[in-house]
Amino acid sequence: MDERRGIQQPSACELSRRDFLKASAIVGGGIAFLGALPGFSALQAARAQAEEGALAYPLADPANQIYTVCLQCNTGCGIKVKLLDGVATKIEGSPFHPMTMYPHVDYNTPIASAGTMEGAICPKGQAGLQSVYDPYRLVSVLKRKPGTPRGGGQWETISFEQAIEEIVEGGDLFGEGVVPGLRESYALTDAAVAKEMAAAVKAIHNAKDADSKRALIAEFQTKFADYLDLMIDPEHPDLGPRNNQFVFAWGRLKDARKDFIARFLNAYGTTNAHGHTTVCQGSLYFTGKAMSEQYVDGAWTGGQKFYWQGDIGNSEFVIFVGASPFEGNYGPPLRSPRLTTSLVEKNLKYVVVDPRFSKTASKAWRWLPAKPGTEGALALALIRWVIDNQRYNAPYLSAANRAAADQLGQTTWTEATWLVKLDENGVPGKFLRASEIGLREKETRPLSTDPDKTYEFDYFVALVNGEPVPVDPYARDPESAVRGDLLVDNVKLGDFTVKSSLQIIADSAREHTLEEWAEICGVEARALEEIAFEFTNHGRQAVADIHRGVSQHTNGFYNVLAWYTLNALIGNFDHAGGLIKGSTYSATGSKPGQPFKISQSSGTMVPFGTSIIRHNEKYEKHTLFLRDGYPARRNWYPLSSDIYQEIVPSIGDAYPYPVKALMFYMGSPVYSLPAGHTNIPILADPKKLPLFIAIDPFIGETSMFADYIFPDTMYLERWEFHGSHPSVAFKIQPVRNPAIAPLVPDVTVFGQQMPMSLEAVLMAIAERLGLPGFGEGGYKDYGDFTHPDDLYIRMVANLAFGEKEDGSDAVPDADDEELRIFLEARRHLPPSVFDAARWERLAGDYWRKVVYVLNRGGRFQAFEKGYKEGVIPEPSANYFGLDLTVTANPFATMVNIYQEKTYDVKNAMTGEHLVGYARYFPGPYAVTGEVLNDEADGFDLRLITHREIMQTKSRTSSNYWLLALLPENAVLMNAVDAEQRGLKDGDLVRIVSPTNPSGEWDLMNGKKVPMIGKIKTTQGIRPGVISFALGFGHFAYGGVDVTINGTTIPGDARRIRGFHANAAMRVDPYLGNTTLVDPVGGSAVFYDTFVRVEKV
Amino acid sequence: MTEPQGTSSIDAGLNRRSFLRKLAGAGGAAVALQALDQLAADPAQALASYEAQIQELSSTSGGDLSKLDVLERMRRELVRALEKPPEERRWVMVIDLRKCVGCHACTIACVAENRLPPGVVYRPVLEEEWGVYPNVGRRFVPRPCMQCDKPPCTPVCPVNATYKNVDGVVVVDYDQCIGCRACLTACPYGARTSDFGLTYNEPNPVADGLIAGRTVAEGYERAPSFEYGEARPRQERTSPIGNARKCHFCLHRIAVGELPACVTTCIGRATLFGDANDPASLVAEMIAQPNVIRLKEELGTEPRVYYLL
Amino acid sequence: MVTIKRILYVLGILALILGLYGFYNRLFIGERDVNYGSYVTWGLWVAMYLFFAGVASGSYMVAALDYLFGVKLFKGLGKYALWSAMVTLPAALISIGMDLGHMERVWKVYLQPNLTSLLAQMVWGYTIFGAVIVISLVLAARQKEGTSWALKVMAAIGFVLAIFVSGGVGALLGVNASRAVWHVGLLPAQFPIFSLATGTALLLTIVSFFGAANDPQREGRQRALGVITIVLLLVKTYILWSDFSMSLYSGVPQNVQAINEVLYGTYWWSFWILQIFLGTVVPIVVLLVPAWAKNRILSGLIGVLVLIGFAAARANIVFPALTIPELQGLAEAFTGPHLNFDYFPSLMEWSVTIGVVGLSTLAYLIGIDRLPFLKTQAEVA
Ligand SMILES: Nc1nc2c(c(=O)[nH]1)N[C@H]1C(S)=C(S)[C@@H](COP(=O)(O)OP(=O)(O)OC[C@H]3O[C@@H](n4cnc5c(=O)[nH]c(N)nc54)[C@H](O)[C@@H]3O)O[C@H]1N2
Ligand SMILES: Nc1nc2c(c(=O)[nH]1)N[C@H]1C(S)=C(S)[C@@H](COP(=O)(O)OP(=O)(O)OC[C@H]3O[C@@H](n4cnc5c(=O)[nH]c(N)nc54)[C@H](O)[C@@H]3O)O[C@H]1N2
Ligand code: SF4
Ligand code: SF4
Ligand code: SF4
Ligand code: SF4
Ligand code: SF4
Ligand SMILES: [Mo]
Repeated sequence: MDERRGIQQPSACELSRRDFLKASAIVGGGIAFLGALPGFSALQAARAQAEEGALAYPLADPANQIYTVCLQCNTGCGIKVKLLDGVATKIEGSPFHPMTMYPHVDYNTPIASAGTMEGAICPKGQAGLQSVYDPYRLVSVLKRKPGTPRGGGQWETISFEQAIEEIVEGGDLFGEGVVPGLRESYALTDAAVAKEMAAAVKAIHNAKDADSKRALIAEFQTKFADYLDLMIDPEHPDLGPRNNQFVFAWGRLKDARKDFIARFLNAYGTTNAHGHTTVCQGSLYFTGKAMSEQYVDGAWTGGQKFYWQGDIGNSEFVIFVGASPFEGNYGPPLRSPRLTTSLVEKNLKYVVVDPRFSKTASKAWRWLPAKPGTEGALALALIRWVIDNQRYNAPYLSAANRAAADQLGQTTWTEATWLVKLDENGVPGKFLRASEIGLREKETRPLSTDPDKTYEFDYFVALVNGEPVPVDPYARDPESAVRGDLLVDNVKLGDFTVKSSLQIIADSAREHTLEEWAEICGVEARALEEIAFEFTNHGRQAVADIHRGVSQHTNGFYNVLAWYTLNALIGNFDHAGGLIKGSTYSATGSKPGQPFKISQSSGTMVPFGTSIIRHNEKYEKHTLFLRDGYPARRNWYPLSSDIYQEIVPSIGDAYPYPVKALMFYMGSPVYSLPAGHTNIPILADPKKLPLFIAIDPFIGETSMFADYIFPDTMYLERWEFHGSHPSVAFKIQPVRNPAIAPLVPDVTVFGQQMPMSLEAVLMAIAERLGLPGFGEGGYKDYGDFTHPDDLYIRMVANLAFGEKEDGSDAVPDADDEELRIFLEARRHLPPSVFDAARWERLAGDYWRKVVYVLNRGGRFQAFEKGYKEGVIPEPSANYFGLDLTVTANPFATMVNIYQEKTYDVKNAMTGEHLVGYARYFPGPYAVTGEVLNDEADGFDLRLITHREIMQTKSRTSSNYWLLALLPENAVLMNAVDAEQRGLKDGDLVRIVSPTNPSGEWDLMNGKKVPMIGKIKTTQGIRPGVISFALGFGHFAYGGVDVTINGTTIPGDARRIRGFHANAAMRVDPYLGNTTLVDPVGGSAVFYDTFVRVEKV
Repeated sequence: MTEPQGTSSIDAGLNRRSFLRKLAGAGGAAVALQALDQLAADPAQALASYEAQIQELSSTSGGDLSKLDVLERMRRELVRALEKPPEERRWVMVIDLRKCVGCHACTIACVAENRLPPGVVYRPVLEEEWGVYPNVGRRFVPRPCMQCDKPPCTPVCPVNATYKNVDGVVVVDYDQCIGCRACLTACPYGARTSDFGLTYNEPNPVADGLIAGRTVAEGYERAPSFEYGEARPRQERTSPIGNARKCHFCLHRIAVGELPACVTTCIGRATLFGDANDPASLVAEMIAQPNVIRLKEELGTEPRVYYLL
Repeated sequence: MVTIKRILYVLGILALILGLYGFYNRLFIGERDVNYGSYVTWGLWVAMYLFFAGVASGSYMVAALDYLFGVKLFKGLGKYALWSAMVTLPAALISIGMDLGHMERVWKVYLQPNLTSLLAQMVWGYTIFGAVIVISLVLAARQKEGTSWALKVMAAIGFVLAIFVSGGVGALLGVNASRAVWHVGLLPAQFPIFSLATGTALLLTIVSFFGAANDPQREGRQRALGVITIVLLLVKTYILWSDFSMSLYSGVPQNVQAINEVLYGTYWWSFWILQIFLGTVVPIVVLLVPAWAKNRILSGLIGVLVLIGFAAARANIVFPALTIPELQGLAEAFTGPHLNFDYFPSLMEWSVTIGVVGLSTLAYLIGIDRLPFLKTQAEVA
C-alpha cells in the first residue's frame, strides 16, 4: 500500500482531523482509509528508517506526547497520551504524578528527557482510547422525535443553534403541548432584590416560633409584592424564586468545569446544583464534614466535605473495611504499589473486613468476612477492647485544645475530655459551657469574618484531675493548654450531670460484650482481640482505612464515625502511616498574589431558597414544617448535600416544589443508583418533568429518556482540574487538558469557535438569555468571557503562580526547548481548542509558566516535601511514641469525635435528636427508623455489589479490550449456598427482591430487562451473601438499536452482557420511589437488600 | 495474496532478518542514540542531552536508589545496559507473585502497545483460587513469553521465522512466517497466539453524522504498531495478520531506552525487567533470591522469566 | 456399477459446489471465519491433512504390493492405488495449505527451509513423494507387460518414502514435548500402520465399486482386501488400547484429561460412534460374514466407513491434546475469538473439507474415465 502506491499525503500538521474524516468519508473504509490515516507520514518516515536499518519509535518522542489526566474512573491518575499525527495511540502513566509513580520523579525534570519515563496505570486507564474513540459517540445534538415518547429510542438530529433556541424559548416542541423553556424559569434577575429576599428568608427561618414566622412571611409578601409572581410559592418564600425550578445535576464533576458551571448557575440564579456524592461514598464525606466542623464565632461551622484515608505506604498495620484498593478505591495505581512494596519489603500487615474475598483480601494477614451492615458494631468492639485494656493513646486524647496539642507536638486534638451534659434519661446532649457552672464568664470577642462585630464566646469545660477547667479550643498560648481527664462518668457539676466525650463513646462500646459484638458481626471474638491488639501495637503507624462498604448502609454515618473514632483512639491523624487528607493547589485566584480571580464577573444573581433535595437546611426552621409537621413528606438533609437519589424522585413528588427543567451532566442515576429504576417513570413522564436535557456523549441509561442530548467533549479532549485524593500526602493539582482534537464538531458562540460541549451549551444559553458574567466584558477586569479558555488558561496561570504572595513558589518559566515541545505536541489540535496566540494572550506574563505546568499535566509537590522535614518514621519501638512525622499538608485542627452540631439536628421524620457520637444502630431501616426484616419473608440472601478493576459504571462497557478480560459479570455465591439451592456454575438465576418481585428493569417503553445472571460459585464470599460486579448489564450505551433520522443504528451486544441488579435494591417503604437511605449522612444504600434467586 | 513489503525475493527476506537481528543486536546503544537523535529537532543537542543523561544515570547506580520508584531505577539500569554490546547483556523478567495484584494492566498495556487484535494476547494474567471458606487463597500469575533459552517453539518452525536473537529474545520475523502454527503447538506455556485478522471495531456501524462510527473508532486500531522496530499499520491480510505473534520483551521500546509496556504499567510493581548480567541491577538481585522459581522447569526450556513466590 | 459412479459424480460435484464458499472465503477473506485458533492450533484441516496424507501413503504401499512385491492377487491393481495416491496427496496438500496463515509464502519452505523442523521435512518429503507418485504413474502408464525395473526401483523408493512420510506426520505431533498425549514413543510408529489400513480400505472400495464385473480375480481381491482390513483394524484397536491404557495408568493429569476428553468429552460420539462403532465394529462384523463381505455395494461402503473412522481417529488424536490448557486458567484470563479450548469446525472449515473431498473424488473418477491406461479395465466394468 501507501508509498508504493504513490499516494501523496499532506504533511501531518496540515492534515486536520476534519480533513481526515472527510477524506475517509469520501474514499470509504478499508485500505483507502488507511492511506488517509493520520500517522501516515510518521509511518512513511518510519518505513524509510526501517529500510535503512535504523529504528523508529516516534512514540518515545516528547513532541508526540501530551500529559493530562485519566478519567476512566474517578481517581484521576496522571497520564501521558502518545500521539501519532493526532491520533492517540497509547496511554501511559505520568511519571510526575504521585498516583502513578512512587516516589514520583522530580517536577523539574526537563520534559525533553521524560519521553521514556512512565508511571503505572490500571487496565481501564490503558484502555482509555476505546472510550474516546467509541463508535457510538454522539456527534450532533439529538432531539427526541416529536410524537414519540421519552425513552422510545427515536431521535432526530438538530442543529446546535436550533436546539439552544428550543430549550431556552420552549414552545410546543414535541407536539404534546407547550414546554416551558429556560427563559421562563429565569424569573428573578435583579441581584439586589434577591439579596434582600435571601435575608428576609433567613429572618423567617431564625424566627423563634410559628407566629413570628407567619408574621414575617406576611411582611415578606408586602415588601416584595411586586416580585411575588417570580416566587415559586409566595406562601413559602423560603422555597425561593422560580429560577430554582431549573435543576442542574451532575455525576462526575471536577474543578474548572465545576467553576464554569457555578459561574453559569450563579448567573442564572438557581440553588439547584447537585452532584452525585451520596451514590458514591456519601456518608464518608458527610461524616468527614461533621467531624471537621469547627467552633468559629460561637457556632459550629466550616465543616469540609471531605474524608481521611490511610497513608498506607508508611503504615505497619492497616484494617481495610469495605474498601478494595486493588480493585477500586481511589485507586489501584495509587494505592497498590504502596501496599505491595510495604508488604514485601517492609513490615506491613493488614486486615480486610469485607464479606467478599476481594483481591485486596488475597494478600491480607486476616480476612474478616463480617456480616454486611455491622461495620459500626465491629468498630465499637475494637473500641471497647482498646478502652477496656487502656491501649489508647492517652496523651493524644488528653489534649483538649490546640495549645495542649502543640505542647505534645500534635497537629490535631479531639473533644475526648470535653464534658457533655446529660438529660434526665442520661442521654448526652450539648457540651457543658463554662458560664453554665459559673466557672468562667462569657467573653466578648470580635468576629473572625468581620472584626468590627462581636460575639459572645463561652468556654467549654474539661476536668483536670477532677477539677473543671475552661477550654478554649483554639487558644495557642501555653497557659491555656488543657490536658483533661479522659474518662469522666456521671459527674455532677452545678445543675448538670456530665460525662466526658470519651466516656460516652466507651459507654456506647460497652453496650455489648466483646463476645456479643462478635456474634452480631458474625466473626470470632478472638480475631477481634488480635486485631485490636495489633492496631494498638504500631504507634501511630496503624490505620483503619474505610470506604463504601462502610458508608453505603442505612447506618452509614455512624459506621464511619465509629471507625474514625477508633483511629482517633491512637491519634493517627496527620501522621505518616496514619490517617491523612488530600490537598490541592488552589487555582481559583483566591490566594493573595495569584494573577486571576476567576470568579470575576460583570455581574451575577444571588441564588437562594430551598433546594429540591432539601440539603443544608433544618426542616423545623422551614415554613413547610408549619404546614406539614412530622413526619416530613421526604427527608431533609441538614448535614449533607449532593443527595443524588433525591433529585429525580423529589421532582416526581414535586416536593418541595415542581421542577420545570432538568439538565443532567455526566451522570446516570438510572443506572448507578440503587433502585435507580424508580427514576424511570418520572424521567419518562413530561408531566412530571416538562423538559429534560442531557449533556452526554452517549445515549446512556439516563440520557435515553432525555428530550435533548447534547454531545460533549470527552476526557482527552477537554479541561478539568482533577484534584487529589485523601490518601495522597502531597499537594497536587493535575490538569486535564486537550490531548486530541475533539470528535465533536465546532459550534459558534459569542462569535467564537468552540467544540460542541458542556461549555458551549452553557455559553450559548447564557448568550441567548443575556446572563451576566458572559460575553463581551463578562470577565470584568479581564475583558470578555467568550471562550472556555478565558477561564481555563487563567486557572493554569494561577496554579503556575502558586500560593505564595511574593511568587516564590511559582514554577519556572519554560525554556525554548520546553516551549518547542509544547507547541509541537499540540500541532494537531484545531484552533477552536488550541490557539497558541490566544493562550499566550490569556496567560499574559505567565505564559511560559503555563507551558511548564501543562507540559507536566499539572503541578505536583516534590516527594521530599510531602512529609515534614522529609522524615518517614522508622518502625516505632515505643508504644505511641511522640514521633513528629506528619504530613506536610495536615488537617491540623480539631477532630470531632463528639458532635454537638449533629446532636442539634432533628430527624425530619420523627423530630428526635440525632446521636452525635459513634454508636451501633442495627439496620437496615427505613427513613422513618422502622427496622426492616425482609429475611422473614423468605428473602434469604443479602445482595451486595463490588467493583472489578476492569470496569466502571457507565463508561467502560465500550472498552472491548477490557471486555476480553471479563465479558460479563456473575452472581458470586458461596458454594455452600449454591449447593443448598441446587445451583451450579453457569446456572442462570433471576434476582428478585421485596420491591422488585419480577426481577426486572421496566424501561417504560415496552421493554423489560431481566436481572438474570450466571452463578459463579466460590469459597470467597460469606455464606448468605451474594455479590455482583458493577459495570455490566447495560441496556443503552450503544448496546441496543436506536433510530436517528429514520436510520436504525444497530447496537453492539458485546456492550450489554451480564446483568445489573441495582433495580433489585430495596426501595424505601416510606419514600416509595427511592432507595433506602442513610437519613443522616445521606448515602444511597447499596448493601442492605435481601433478595432471593430463582433459577431460570 | 500480494506481498506488500516487497519481500517476494529471498534477498528481501534475509535483509529483514538481518534487520531484526540488528534491532536488539548490533550496537544497541548506538541504535538507541540514533533513534533519539532522529526524534529531536536538533540532533546535536539531543545527543548532548542524551549523553548527559547517561552520565547522570551511571553515577546514580551506586547512589541512593531507594528514593526512586523501581520503575525509574530500572529505566536507568536499562539505559546503562544499552551501552554494552548486546551479547554481553541478558534480558530477564522477574515477576513477584507476592506483589501481583491481578490488575491485568500489563495485559492491556501490551495489547495497546502492540495493537493486538481480538484473539491475540501476549501476557494474560491467570488466576487461581483455593481453600475452603473462610480460609481462602487467591493468586495471580502473569504469563508473558518465557523467552526460553532452550525454546521448543523455534526448532519446529519450517522457515526459521522464529528464533532467538542476539540478546536472547525469541522473535518472529513477520515477513518470513508462513502461519503454520507449529510454534504455537510446541510452546508449553501457550505463549503464542495467531493473528486471524480481526479488529475490535469491525462489527460496529459506520453512520457518518449520526454517531462517530466505525471509521473514526478504528483509527487507533489501524495505526501502525512498532513491533520489532518496524511501523506496520494494520491492513487486510498483511503481516502480522496470518502470523504467529508473541511477547518480544518490547524490543522496540528497549532499543530507545524505554521499559516494556507491561513493566511500566505494573501497579503492583510486581514485574521487573533488566539485564541479569549487570550485577548491580535489580533483576540480578532478585533472581538470586531463595524464593525464585520458573514455570515448568522440568521441561528444560530454561525460561528467562523468573517468578518470586 | 455405473449407477454408483453416477452417484459419485453427482456427489463429487455437489461437494465441490458446497466447497466453493469455503474456498472463496479462505482465499479472499482470510482466516477470520475459522474455529481453530491459538489454543486449538490445528483443526479439521490438519486432521484431514493427516488423513489424506495417510491415504496417499497407504495407497502407495498397496501399489507396492503389486509393483514391488509382485503379489499375484493385486496384479493390475497397482495403477489404481497409484492413482488414488495421486488424487489424495493434493487433497492433503490443499488441506494443509489452507491452514497456513500465509500460504503464498510456501515457497519459503523450499528456498529457506529449516530442515530440523519436522514440518519442513514433511513438506520436502511429500513433495518428493508426490514426484515419486507422478513418475511411478507415468512408468505404470507406459508399461505393457510385467513390471519394468524402473517402476520396481521407483516403487521401492516410494514404499520407503511412504513409510517415512506417514510416520513423519506422527512425529510432527510427537515431538511436542508439551503435549503429553502425543509425546509417546509409539505415536510415529502407529501412523504407517494407519496409513496402510486406509490405503487398503480405499482400495477395497475401489475394487468393490469399480472392479470389472468380468474380472475373475475381483471377488478374491475383494475378499483378500477385506481380510487385510480386518487385521489392520484389529491392530489399530490394539494400539489404541495400549495407548489409552498407558496414558490412563500413567496418571499424568494432562494425559488422563485428554483421554477422558476423547472418551467422554463433548465429542464422545466422534470416538464411540464414528471411530469405534461405524469405523471398526461394523466393518469387522460385515467383513467377517462372508455373504455380506461378498456384496459389492456393502463392502464398498465398508471401505468408506473405515475411511471415515480413520478420519475421525485423526481428529481424535489431534484435538484432545490441544483442548487441554497448557496452564490452568488460560481460557478465562483473556477471552476472544480463536481463544477457545473447545473446538468444533466452522461452516467454512467444513465447506473447504467437503470441497476437497469432492475434488479428489471427481479427480479419481475423471481419471478412471478419461485416462487411457486406467480406462481400459474400468470400461469393462
Ligand atoms: N475499577 C474501578 N475502580 C474505581 C471505580 C470504578 O467504577 N471501577 N470507581 C471509583 C469510585 S467512584 C469509587 S467511589 C471507588 C470505590 O471504591 P471502594 O469503596 O473500595 O469499592 P467498592 O467496590 O464499592 O466497595 C469496596 C468493598 O466493599 C465490599 N463490600 C460490599 N458490601 C459490603 C459490606 O456490607 N460491608 C463491608 N465491610 N464491605 C462490603 C465489596 O466487596 C468491595 O470489596 O472506586 C473508585 N475506583
Ligand atoms: N451496582 C453498583 N452500582 C454503583 C456502584 C457500585 O459499586 N455498584 N458504585 C456507585 C458509585 S461509587 C458511583 S460514583 C456512581 C457513579 O454514578 P454516575 O456518576 O451516575 O455515573 P458515571 O458512570 O460516572 O457517569 C454516567 C454518565 O456519564 C456519561 N459520560 C461519560 N463520559 C462523559 C463525558 O465525558 N462527558 C459527559 N457529559 N458525560 C459523560 C455516560 O454516558 C453516562 O451517561 O455509581 C454508583 N453505582
Ligand atoms: S485508577 Fe485507572 S481508570 Fe482510574 S484514573 Fe487511574 S488509571 Fe484511570
Ligand atoms: S515461552 Fe513458548 S514461545 Fe516463548 S520462548 Fe518459550 S517456548 Fe517459545
Ligand atoms: S507460525 Fe510462523 S513462526 Fe510459527 S512455526 Fe509457523 S512459520 Fe514459524
Ligand atoms: S514485554 Fe512487551 S510484548 Fe512482552 S508482554 Fe510485556 S508488553 Fe507485551
Ligand atoms: S500489572 Fe503487575 S500487578 Fe497488575 S496483573 Fe500485571 S503483573 Fe500483576
Ligand atoms: Mo464513587
